[in-house]
Amino acid sequence: MSNIKKRLKAERRFKFYGQLGVFLSLLFVTLLMLKIFTTGSGAFFRTTIEADVFFDPKFMQVDKNSSDKEISRSSFEALADSVVNNNFKDLNEGQFIKVREMFTRRFDYQLRDYFLDNKDDYKKTVKLKITASSDLDQIVKGNYPRNVPEEQRKINDYQLSILDELNKQERIGSTFNFWFFTNGDSRDPETAGIWGAIMGSFYALMVCLAFAFPIGLFASVYLEEYTKPGKITDLIEVNINNLAAVPSIVFGLLGLGMLIGVFNMPFQVPLVGGLTLGFMTLPTIIIACRSSLRAVPPSIRHGALALGATKTQTTFHHVVPLALPGTLTGTIIGMAQALGETAPLLMVGMVAFVMEIPGGPLDPATGLPSQIYLWSESAERGFIEKTSAGIMLLLLFLILMNLTAVLIRRKVEVKW
Amino acid sequence: MVDNNNFALKTNNVYVHYGNKMAINNVALDFPKNEVTSLIGPSGCGKSTFLRCLNRMNDVIDSCKVEGSFIMNNTIDIYRDDLPIENLREKIGMVFQKPNPFPKSIYENVAYGPKIHGVTSSQSELDDLVKESLHRAGLYDEVKDRLTDVATGLSGGQQQRLCIARAISIKPEIILMDEPCSALDPIATAKIEDLINELKENYTIIIVTHSMSQASRVSTKTAFFHLGNLIEEGDTSKIFTKPDKEQTNDYITGRFG
Repeated sequence: MSNIKKRLKAERRFKFYGQLGVFLSLLFVTLLMLKIFTTGSGAFFRTTIEADVFFDPKFMQVDKNSSDKEISRSSFEALADSVVNNNFKDLNEGQFIKVREMFTRRFDYQLRDYFLDNKDDYKKTVKLKITASSDLDQIVKGNYPRNVPEEQRKINDYQLSILDELNKQERIGSTFNFWFFTNGDSRDPETAGIWGAIMGSFYALMVCLAFAFPIGLFASVYLEEYTKPGKITDLIEVNINNLAAVPSIVFGLLGLGMLIGVFNMPFQVPLVGGLTLGFMTLPTIIIACRSSLRAVPPSIRHGALALGATKTQTTFHHVVPLALPGTLTGTIIGMAQALGETAPLLMVGMVAFVMEIPGGPLDPATGLPSQIYLWSESAERGFIEKTSAGIMLLLLFLILMNLTAVLIRRKVEVKW
Repeated sequence: MVDNNNFALKTNNVYVHYGNKMAINNVALDFPKNEVTSLIGPSGCGKSTFLRCLNRMNDVIDSCKVEGSFIMNNTIDIYRDDLPIENLREKIGMVFQKPNPFPKSIYENVAYGPKIHGVTSSQSELDDLVKESLHRAGLYDEVKDRLTDVATGLSGGQQQRLCIARAISIKPEIILMDEPCSALDPIATAKIEDLINELKENYTIIIVTHSMSQASRVSTKTAFFHLGNLIEEGDTSKIFTKPDKEQTNDYITGRFG
């Protein structure tokens, strides 16, 4: 009787601890998301400078009758310089360099791409929105402070005065940064995109799926339907469970040592990355497959066996189809895990600077997480927002994959 | 005595062990052709275990050891090594305690057996066989418009009749039924019992049941099991009116079990 107050107090205290724990974890997740979104959202827009572009024959090696191929091969560097000179009068050599630096280094590419689509503008003047350099972009977005001593800024006072002048003329604009979704990596943050990494991850995951799913399914069917329980089965079971807990970098080392070292497979390619991720995902898939096979009621097996079906017929006509939703769910979750793994990619070299979009599993590539890692290591200020934007995309893919898994589980639930 | 040819299955010296535990102790029981034999007895008496020996379903259980002679049609030893278990089960079908239709269409459920055994040679032949089997199981009129519906949507009694249709689709000689009505309501039970009475024209039926009234209604022969021993067997009318053994009498009058 006397200790009831004490007990109730303890009750309230533990309830409070629990609520505090939930609150803190939610707080951290919210803060993380907030940080990523505020930092990363800038990457989806890029600053532009409006300029009058005269397609001046003097500075061009091609004309409106040139073929696409010729145009693609020709240089637009001189034309880009002429645009700077035309739009900013009476620049001396030093000033010219500074003004040119305010535009992206890919100025000429942008002109060429425009000309490819608009050959009729030859010898004409058009207003184009030229992408600004990343340093200018960061100043405009307010990510760089302006009120610090000049030597600590990447944009000097002269360039700032030009920027203010352009602002007054309303020639500074902002446009949706498609390049982020369509380009490969680049040294210049304003042109760097994530598509190469997405394709790299895609090919790696396809290889991973093609490797791990069949092996995992057949291994679990064999273990679950054919082996008799015993010491060896127990040993295999324990080992598979242990493998699922092995840190991913160990599988990375396995990929490096075995695939690249012993089998002489190439470095940096999604094929090797995918196989390495496959080693890592295999135990997860086996565990998921086995538990969904186990969930199929024995009465179904007995029904088929009693009709004179062989064990293999029983398994593949009845048990495996019924277990398939569960195995697919497990596989997708395993794939999602593989998508987020960085360490195995680092070990097999899928962390290099790759500008080209990989066209297949044998082309050099990075993966999404390793691309994020690369950008986070870059010194350029503009890569900070790219890093966060990359994380947002990675999270988006992970959420989509997990959502698919949940939907499959809900949709294809079997009634007995 | 009865002519040997009139027995669909004869068993002798049957012992079954689960690990070290004896489940069936020296049972000898013969099953007359085209008749219904019921196996009765209290829970755990071994009647289901014995039934499962007859189509070798006990082979699935690793710890289960079956000894004894099981002779079908006076010639075939069903535990012979060179007899594929699949062929045996084609001849001896089984209906389980809980209806266990495959979660596929009604049609697929019945067509599965003929398909794997290659009984039919054409699609129309298969269609006819499915129709005929459903008809014989007394289910056809209820499901003829929805053969493609999933079988698990049927009621319990319909599911069990579907399982019977599935079992007879491959034209077995013997049908084993393991308490086929224990999960069903009285109306569904009555339908199954009527069905058993019709089926015995063409098949030998061995049924395990907990219901003594059911045994007396459907079977011509009854065997009483207790603790792994076959206590008494004989004509159903005799077992239920003047059994030879005290134990049998106690059981059928409800004094134990």
